[in-house]
Amino acid sequence: MSIKAKQKKPFSLRFRLVVLAVLLLTISLGLVGLALDSAFHKSSEAGLQARMESFVYLVLAATEVSDDGILVSAEEPGDPLLNQPGSGIYASLIGERDRWTSASSLGINLPEPVQIQTGKTDFTTASDETGNYYTFRYGVSWELPQGQMLPVTVTIFVDPQELQPEFHAFRSGLWQSLALVGLILVLAQVILLALGLRPLRRISEDISGIESGRLERLEGSFPQELEPLKRNVNHLLDTEQANQSRYRNALDSLAHSIKTPLSVIRSSLPSDGTPKTVAMENAVADMQHLIATRLQRAATSARSSNATAVDVKTQLERLVASLKRVYSQDLINIDVMIEPELAFYGEQRDFLELAGNLLDNACKYGEGQVRISAQKLDSKDSRAGIRLQVDDNGPGIAGDEREELLQRGVRGDERVEGHGLGLAIVLEIVSAYHGEITIDQSELGGARLNVSLKTR
Amino acid sequence: MRILVVEDDSGLQTSLAEILREAGYAVDVSGDGIEGLFFGQEYPLDLAIIDLGLPGLPGLDVIRKLREQERQFPILILTARADWQDKVEGLEAGADDYLTKPFHPEELKARVGALLRRSAGHAQPLIELGPLKIDLVSQRVFKGEDEIELTTYEYKVFEYLLMHPDKVVTKSVLSEHIYEEDADRDSNVIEVFVGRLRRKIDPGGVMNPIETLRGRGYRLKNPPRET
Repeated sequence: MSIKAKQKKPFSLRFRLVVLAVLLLTISLGLVGLALDSAFHKSSEAGLQARMESFVYLVLAATEVSDDGILVSAEEPGDPLLNQPGSGIYASLIGERDRWTSASSLGINLPEPVQIQTGKTDFTTASDETGNYYTFRYGVSWELPQGQMLPVTVTIFVDPQELQPEFHAFRSGLWQSLALVGLILVLAQVILLALGLRPLRRISEDISGIESGRLERLEGSFPQELEPLKRNVNHLLDTEQANQSRYRNALDSLAHSIKTPLSVIRSSLPSDGTPKTVAMENAVADMQHLIATRLQRAATSARSSNATAVDVKTQLERLVASLKRVYSQDLINIDVMIEPELAFYGEQRDFLELAGNLLDNACKYGEGQVRISAQKLDSKDSRAGIRLQVDDNGPGIAGDEREELLQRGVRGDERVEGHGLGLAIVLEIVSAYHGEITIDQSELGGARLNVSLKTR
Repeated sequence: MRILVVEDDSGLQTSLAEILREAGYAVDVSGDGIEGLFFGQEYPLDLAIIDLGLPGLPGLDVIRKLREQERQFPILILTARADWQDKVEGLEAGADDYLTKPFHPEELKARVGALLRRSAGHAQPLIELGPLKIDLVSQRVFKGEDEIELTTYEYKVFEYLLMHPDKVVTKSVLSEHIYEEDADRDSNVIEVFVGRLRRKIDPGGVMNPIETLRGRGYRLKNPPRET
């Protein structure tokens, strides 16, 4: 297993943002829920306290004290809850010598009531200490006929069960609505992300457009945050292009400057045909051949990956017009059979070089009738590449010579200019595009060269 | 026939001029684009050989400017850049042919001869004028089986008239096209050349192929045919 495969792929931006948003929402909505829950608790308890206070007054209103300080319940307290056993609300009175409990506490084991000072009130929430009851105590003094004061403590007990249904209803309502809010917020987040990340998707589509040659640079306007990225990508593209043309120009001027002295050598050679002159001639021809093929190889391998579409028909028409000009006295007829809008997704220079050499050879070795046709390599994928056929009506190339001719071209040791040099350049281009080349018999009578170029 | 060579490499310029002069052409040379363009505009040229990589003004621009100014003489591009892209651009700019460096002197002469014939409307290098046969490649003139010996200047005059049939050619035009710019010209010499040429190609004065139009110049009667 490679190291690369072990490396974990970073999570997508969308995944990160959604997960973070869900986490954040859960925590914040949870805290909101807790705060609301406790506020509700407090306000319910405050309500309960007020209600218990009113029970105190009900109990007091129903209470009489005899002259000797005995608590007498004159009548039933005004609320049926105090008279219904197990109703959850219980009352007790403690005097100096006796005590009273409401009828509702029948069979209930209430905690021992405690006296408090006259005039004091005391509210405690349900806890183990208070026997798990809400307790409200109120200290009063009864004036006896003898002028004595009888301290009496009224205690109301409320079973917490009384409040449970209320809490339950509130809580389930609360959490349901919080969950709904959370869900809506997450959905909104997903939509926002889709909208917010759209420019990123567009920029990545544009970059793949550059890769496939549909675009040359990042045009279009992008959000402010992406402008630096766009600038940098364009800058990179420019630099690449500049580098490429610099290398090409350097190669070109090198070739230019070598070829001129070569021309001087060649034109200064006497045409006496002595072995010395012939050897010099051959050396110059070899150098010329090396420069031409190596230069082509360098220019082809410096080919950028982001080639734009070359319109095959337009470029072939340029070539045909040029060739007709050069071969004007030979009355050459060149048929171009190209489907319209056939495009070559490679370097225009390479295409011109390939088709130019093939056509030039056909004009040179044919008898005035040349035909070039081209198709897509894959009818479904216009970027896969193209296939070219060049036919002439010349003497053609015999079957056993075909392979040898291609081999010689590959070796690049052919001295004769013409098929040799032109074909060597064609072979360089075909191999740079991982294509194929074959030689056949043409229906026009001469040679047919089939070439395929792959641009994927 | 007068040829302009615009080539910045002095070594190559010298050997080009040598090859062409040996072949019987009058040759003017220039080493940069601006001067080359000026010569092309001012001199009565029959052909120009222009290198593409020139100082001053690029060769392509020289060709474009000459064509814009309706200078119609054939132009042969001399280039080290053998790419078809460059060839096509050169031909689209108005050149008629190209020759890639390093070239064979023989190929240069063949291309120059072919361009000159083509511009005169002759596709073939062999033409006939009455009983005369003229081989424009070997620059020899035959009457039947016999070769007529002409001097270089006699041939130059004859060739120019052959390339401009049915046109009146003045003595000064003839001297401009057979001599280079800085040569010492004398239009009386032209009369001498034409007189000797007439005696050699038509000793009996029967055919009289070259008419004299008094005060105007010479004209080739009966346009030559290609064989």
